[in-house]
Amino acid sequence: MIDTLFLVGLAASALRFATPILFAALGETMAQRSGVLNVGLEGIMLVGAFAGMVGAVWTGSPWGGLVIAMACGMALAGLHALFCLTFRVDQILSGIALIVLGTGLSGFGWRLTLGGTGTPPKAPPFPRLDLPGLSDLPVVGQILFQHQPMVYLGIALAFALAWFLRRTTWGLEIRAVGENPAAADAAGIGVLARRYGCVLFGGAMAAAGGCYLSVSQVGGFVENMVSGRGFIAIACVVFGQWRPLRVLCAALLFGAAEAAQIRLQLIAPHIPYQLFVMMPYVVAVAALVVVARSTRLPAALGRPFVPDR
Amino acid sequence: MDDRVTDWRGGLGMAAVVAAGLIIAALFVLAAGKSPAAVFRVMLGHAVATGPGLAEVMVRAVPLCLAGLGVAVAFRCNVFNIGADGQLVVGAILATAAAAMLPPALALVGFLVCGIIGGAAYGGIAGWLKARFGVSEIIVTIMQNYIAIQLLTWMVRGPMQEKMGMFPRSDAIPGAAMLDILVTGTRVHWGIVIALAATGAIHVLMRHASFGFQVTVVGRNPLVARFAGIRDRRIVLLAMLVSGGLAGLAGAVEIAGLHHRLQDDFAPGFGLLAIAVALLARLEPLAVPFSALLFGILHVGSGAVQREIGLPFPVVWIFEAIVIFGCLGVTAVGRRKVTA
Amino acid sequence: MAALLELRGITKRYPGVLANDDVGLTVAAGEVVAVLGENGAGKSTVMNVIAGLIRPDAGDMLIDGRPVRPRSPREAAALGVGMVHQHFKLVPTMTVAENIVLGDYRAGRLLLRPARNAARIDGLCAELGLAAAPGTPVGDLDLGARQKVEIAKALFRDARILILDEPTAILSRQECDQLYEIIRRLAARGVAVVLISHKLDDVFAVCDRVYVMRGGRVVGERRVADTARDDLVRLVVGGTLDLPRRRTGAAPGAPLVSVRDLALRRPGGPIVLQDVSFDLRGGEVLAVAGVEGNGQAELIEALAGLLPPATGRIDYGFLHGRRPDARRLRQGGLGHVPGDRHGMAVLGDLSLEANVMLTHFHMPGFARAGLLRRQPAASLTEGLIGRFEVRTPSTTTAIGRLSGGNQQKLVVGRELNHATRVLLAAHPTRGLDLRTIAFMQGQLLDHRDRGGAVLLVSSDLAEIWRVADRVMVAASGRLRGPVAIDEVTVEEVGSWMTA
Repeated sequence: MIDTLFLVGLAASALRFATPILFAALGETMAQRSGVLNVGLEGIMLVGAFAGMVGAVWTGSPWGGLVIAMACGMALAGLHALFCLTFRVDQILSGIALIVLGTGLSGFGWRLTLGGTGTPPKAPPFPRLDLPGLSDLPVVGQILFQHQPMVYLGIALAFALAWFLRRTTWGLEIRAVGENPAAADAAGIGVLARRYGCVLFGGAMAAAGGCYLSVSQVGGFVENMVSGRGFIAIACVVFGQWRPLRVLCAALLFGAAEAAQIRLQLIAPHIPYQLFVMMPYVVAVAALVVVARSTRLPAALGRPFVPDR
Repeated sequence: MDDRVTDWRGGLGMAAVVAAGLIIAALFVLAAGKSPAAVFRVMLGHAVATGPGLAEVMVRAVPLCLAGLGVAVAFRCNVFNIGADGQLVVGAILATAAAAMLPPALALVGFLVCGIIGGAAYGGIAGWLKARFGVSEIIVTIMQNYIAIQLLTWMVRGPMQEKMGMFPRSDAIPGAAMLDILVTGTRVHWGIVIALAATGAIHVLMRHASFGFQVTVVGRNPLVARFAGIRDRRIVLLAMLVSGGLAGLAGAVEIAGLHHRLQDDFAPGFGLLAIAVALLARLEPLAVPFSALLFGILHVGSGAVQREIGLPFPVVWIFEAIVIFGCLGVTAVGRRKVTA
Repeated sequence: MAALLELRGITKRYPGVLANDDVGLTVAAGEVVAVLGENGAGKSTVMNVIAGLIRPDAGDMLIDGRPVRPRSPREAAALGVGMVHQHFKLVPTMTVAENIVLGDYRAGRLLLRPARNAARIDGLCAELGLAAAPGTPVGDLDLGARQKVEIAKALFRDARILILDEPTAILSRQECDQLYEIIRRLAARGVAVVLISHKLDDVFAVCDRVYVMRGGRVVGERRVADTARDDLVRLVVGGTLDLPRRRTGAAPGAPLVSVRDLALRRPGGPIVLQDVSFDLRGGEVLAVAGVEGNGQAELIEALAGLLPPATGRIDYGFLHGRRPDARRLRQGGLGHVPGDRHGMAVLGDLSLEANVMLTHFHMPGFARAGLLRRQPAASLTEGLIGRFEVRTPSTTTAIGRLSGGNQQKLVVGRELNHATRVLLAAHPTRGLDLRTIAFMQGQLLDHRDRGGAVLLVSSDLAEIWRVADRVMVAASGRLRGPVAIDEVTVEEVGSWMTA
């Protein structure tokens, strides 16, 4: 009986731990499908975590925090787009700058606002959204249907993006732009505009993930609290082979790794807990090596597009 | 070999970008309700105009210079080593672990060599995964950073903890493995000489040695490299070994010269800073010490600014980001179409 | 017949080149017209003007007698111009149907509604004889089928004028016949077809009329039915090909390179050349003729140790059985002038001297104890600049700042310096002026006369006749020959190229 309880708790918290990574990874999936690499997710998530927290306190609503966080995320992503799409600088270097900038903005901003005031006020958390009937189901209900709305939103977003990429004209254009911008250009599709759109979306989603992390999962902001989740999200995109539903699975894998390591620390106190904390990072590297052979990235990923006229 | 096209337009662009960066930095200071002039005064006044301040800048610049050299080598090869942090920590751990076993005559050299080996091996993992499987070195090196941090916190609480078992830190390393103080009354140690020597060595390696030339060619265009008979994957791996080795040396020097024992968080964020150092130096080894000095000033000065004016310390990261974006902006300004 | 499309006095000038000079052309509905000419004759400029990719400096374009000025491919498409590029503009990971509808959303602005387009796409596929299901990824199709997708894409947009750029260059014999059949059917249904080609076979197989271009001008227009093959060949190359040969009659020596049963493919790509066997001997120039894109680039890369053979083997007498790779081959005395200079042979932002060092740093004398020696590279660069008349401010100038011709001179000089035994040269004289061309060809012959071997890839028959001892022809995935140049005529080789 204890085993069932344990596993149910593990599965449910895997979903919760997966959510911030999932949002960032889905946003990055879109950016990369359009051909733009943004390694600065970590920085955007940090700013999202900070802005979400502050916004939630100021507006008195977690949703207000979410909106403010997404706006900030788009601003940072816009900077990235400006540098690598318009100025055509190296996308990786611009992304690195974004990591540093996000670290600074979040830490600086936090200390200037709530962080400077002794004990920071609590942000209003997202309410738990129980689905009548479903939430009361044994086991399944506890795992799947006793979460905050962001968890459901993240999963819904994965399905929505999968559908969007497959079934809509915009999705078709984004795929074409990331695979063969010259072909898209010849078909009269504005390559830069599509890429800008996807990068901005990616920024908004990464910030949303950061916002969930601070407002909901941790219940407060701590400097550098994202601790590598931005990069794990990028690993998810690669491991999920740029397909939203597989990215969802990859995010769940990392969520499970994180949920498991915390529980393992309690179960096996004689083993140094640091070894468990390392686990998600080791899983990320291993995941990349596993898919390395079969990886087929969007053909134009990381390359600036220069129309031939 | 003169392989850089520079002209006055580059200089002008540089000036414009620097001005823009200063203005943006000032805006952030204003946003915090402080006076940019006061910040500037305190920063320079503390970090440059006073002896102890200057000494602290030097102390801070040493690891930045070494790790920055490492970043420069990797980036020249178009290998984005963001893992100097992890390599530095692993180098320091290995060196400290080996310290007690080293014969006194070789203690210092052995200590530093162990640091290099640790960093190189750790960086080499990412290099090998890239060369062999094409795995993104960016994600691997970052993941390795977090792994290394956990390794460090474990080591100083577990296998390597001091005999008393009270504080999360190791025992002090043997005196023979320590770097002496260079300027009495300060913390400035012989590491500064090591950093300068490494700068010279890396300059020779990158500018005059066949290895550095191959690194440059692979970094510019792997197809051209193959055409010229360069084994590009091997060069990628070697570049990561050198890069990690320098970061590991930085870690060993920090322990041998400054902390004398392993402890939590002994080099916070140096890896990211090293990237900014290398980029500001345009990946040019001889410019790295100056760039490291500048970031040392920024860092020490920001500490003073926080104490005296109350401007939150993380502003230093914002300044650093402005520097990196500025460098990228200069590149974009200076780029011209190569005639077809 | 009234003209559906008409060009009048089209002129386009690039710095130093008159790409099109007063070009005029008409095509009627239901007519198939060829634009024939060698590389650089100005054919692609004409095509790009019609497709809206290039705006001419002077001249008019009329459709249905009304002047038009398309400024983008999309505007051209709206005017009924459909374009089938030689290098297909398709997205390999997307399906046939997705590629066809990309950018054309009459079926729905936001949602892809495959069902609404299915009937039309099926109809087009049937008309074009495309066997693959519309849900197949384009990357899984062979080149002939991809081309049909390109044509379907144009027809889906109701193209009335269809431009085909070198459509048969990469097709097999049977695929060519299928394409001709398609073109005939489209013409019968009233589509005006402009076929841009090197190949006489294309002209005689499907075209009603032919415009011949040379040096940016239209030098002749003929009704195909009233024209003899020889007549067209003369128009294309400009006069009869009775070329003076500069030959000193060196006796060929031992084989330096032996190729046996070689097949080649790019990683992940299809086999582009197979059943290749020949010997390259010291003291000879062996030419590979053929329309570009028939595997010559792959052949030369394989010989240079850059592309591992799919099957078969290459033996180098001078390597004494060691595994060939690019470095060992260079050290053994092989030079390589690649066709794609920018992609491979030079780093534009490095100096001339560094670009000489690029291929020499592992040669004896250029490095000692791992350190580069600047002096030999500098003096070699000086020497090459002098001998090959490279116009440059200094040896430390970035090579990308030189003109293409001057870059090419340095590259050829550098590679000749490597080639103590074998020189692989792809289009070594392309883009050079006549005097330099003569000089370069002289260099190739001198190398041969010193006992070296030259493998020359060229699509210029005049050049081949001037310098080669033997010739092979790359066409349809195979190499024909080699035969001694004295034993064939230009017309024969030309017909192999276009077979």
